[in-house]
Amino acid sequence: MAQFWQQVVSGLASGGIYASLALALVIVYRSSGVINFAQGEMATFATFLAWTFLHHGISFWPAFALTLAVAFAGGVALERVVIRPVEGRPVLTVVILTIGLLILINGATQWIWGGAVRKFPSPFSTRPIHVGSAAFSIQDIGIVGVCLVAVALLTLFFRFTKLGLGLRAAAVNPEESRLVGVRVGWMLALGWGLSAALGAVSGMMVAPVVFLDPNMMQGILLYAFAAAVLGGLESPVGAVVGGLALGVLLNLLGTYFSTFGGEMRPTGLFGRTAVRRV
Amino acid sequence: MKVAVAAVALLVAASVAGARPLATPGVSSSSILIGGTVPLTGEAAAAAGVARGADAYFKYVNAKGGVFNRKITYKYLDDGYEPQRTFLDVRQLVQQDGVFAIFNSLGTSNNSAIRGFLNQAGVPQLFVASGASTFGRDYKKYPWTIGFIPTYSGEGKVYARYLLAKRPGAKIAVLYQDDDYGKELVSGLQAGLGAKKSLIVKKVGYDPSASDVRSEVASLKASKAKVFMIFAFGKFAVQAFITANQLGWHPQIVVNDVAAATSLMQLSPPKATEGAISIVFGKDPDAPMWKRDKGMKLFRSIMARYASGQTPNGYYAAGMASAYTLVDTLKKAGKNLTRKSVLTAATHLNEKTNPFVLPGIKVHTTPSFRFPISQVRLERWHKGHWVIFGPLLSAKP
Repeated sequence: MAQFWQQVVSGLASGGIYASLALALVIVYRSSGVINFAQGEMATFATFLAWTFLHHGISFWPAFALTLAVAFAGGVALERVVIRPVEGRPVLTVVILTIGLLILINGATQWIWGGAVRKFPSPFSTRPIHVGSAAFSIQDIGIVGVCLVAVALLTLFFRFTKLGLGLRAAAVNPEESRLVGVRVGWMLALGWGLSAALGAVSGMMVAPVVFLDPNMMQGILLYAFAAAVLGGLESPVGAVVGGLALGVLLNLLGTYFSTFGGEMRPTGLFGRTAVRRV
Repeated sequence: MKVAVAAVALLVAASVAGARPLATPGVSSSSILIGGTVPLTGEAAAAAGVARGADAYFKYVNAKGGVFNRKITYKYLDDGYEPQRTFLDVRQLVQQDGVFAIFNSLGTSNNSAIRGFLNQAGVPQLFVASGASTFGRDYKKYPWTIGFIPTYSGEGKVYARYLLAKRPGAKIAVLYQDDDYGKELVSGLQAGLGAKKSLIVKKVGYDPSASDVRSEVASLKASKAKVFMIFAFGKFAVQAFITANQLGWHPQIVVNDVAAATSLMQLSPPKATEGAISIVFGKDPDAPMWKRDKGMKLFRSIMARYASGQTPNGYYAAGMASAYTLVDTLKKAGKNLTRKSVLTAATHLNEKTNPFVLPGIKVHTTPSFRFPISQVRLERWHKGHWVIFGPLLSAKP
């Protein structure tokens, strides 16, 4: 039983990681109807930027804020320059484009910072806490906590602000939105900016745990897709629930069905679902 | 038009080939062209120093006159650690660039992908940068291939003998990467334990595409083992150290050589790694004990001169170690350099002077024993560095 609880707790911790990136995927999907395969690489790039800021002596939270701002601007710029030209094209065109971005941004990250594994400071304490037989750290709670705060803010934003309404409208029905005065083009760009900033948050939360290297997010992206699909691609709350559930499920399956090993990996199962949805 | 150009190119190629039917590809009176592949990008890009270090060493040798007045050019291409790209790279190197030999290519699957092609074409595949024992063992089927570093199965056996001697009866838990690399380490450990194989109370594999190994470590902890083997790659090893420490599990940890780079070990908090054990066969530029060593002084001066601006870590030193042995091999092959003569030289090595491997280790091969480095020592992590202990040990596969 001790092992069961430990697996649930570390599943929640890993799930928090998946959830944070899933959130970014959901925001882009919700505001522009696109599945962004480059989401993970954008997050990694932003985290390397944060690392550079930290390396130049800026302390954590200012560097964090600065990174968010740069990531937001970068997301907006990407939409305007790269995604805009294919707006309204078949969804597959956009998907292929984001896959191209994935390769491009990954290459740029390697080129600028090299392939070495780096340490990234955590804003939270990594001191272990023992509750009953299970151990976890404040860092684990912090990641899940940051996800929850982000969800709360996003829900408020989408539900209660005019801008949020405009974002949702632009995604659901661009033509009519335009007729009632929503600047659809900018709404899409804003959606990309928001998701890039969220991705940056995810990257900076994840990096202290899995360590920073140019491919940090590639494995996580798969799980994030699965989490987003599990929770419903349009729902931020769903992304978090999906991420946490996936983390726990994976751990329990891996622990108690170890003989099935590779065959039981739900990535494959959910992964296929994700591909079909796009 | 394109057809015409291609036809002309073919004619030119044919006439060049026809003019000098006996010439060895890649070798002239003033140059030797060597090819290789390495991940400059992708998941294993951190290991790119293996090629860059070798390249720096060749430049140093060239500045001193080369080998029999031939300057060595080492053309290494990026394969992103993907075997299919390794294959395309190597085909280009052999068929278009006409390299003399393939040297120091990195990765188990990557070298497996090119082995058939190279052996069919009769191109030497020298000093493979992988510890899979197949590259030294299967010479009857692949006569042009030879390994370099100690094999993973040999490494596993060294750990088994150490544990049987120093921790007899201690239960063992194993974390391993679920691919050929991790599995060979595990099977080496099992073979070394022999009748005591049942001391391994639990082993858990992780998928190399996973994001972390916390769940795996948690279930290994539940086995209550007193020894924890980490047969992992890169950051997964770091996560394993940290997770075990976080869970309050403090077994004797043994970490395999590939995952034991000082730069990786230093990512963990000191408490998590203190006392861990691994093997070593090359001099570690980050270890204080070699600070005044002649070989490491040479290493640093070559780095400063021919690879300035790059971090002089163990990967570069490993690359220089195999480059040194290659230069030795080329000298041994003699003035009249052919693919055959280099293969003969590579399978008759008895080198005691390699300045980049541990003193006392002989780089030794025979036509039926193709594991150039098969001796190691043990090392223990203490206060942020590896400290070597114990005598030279055999790490034969």
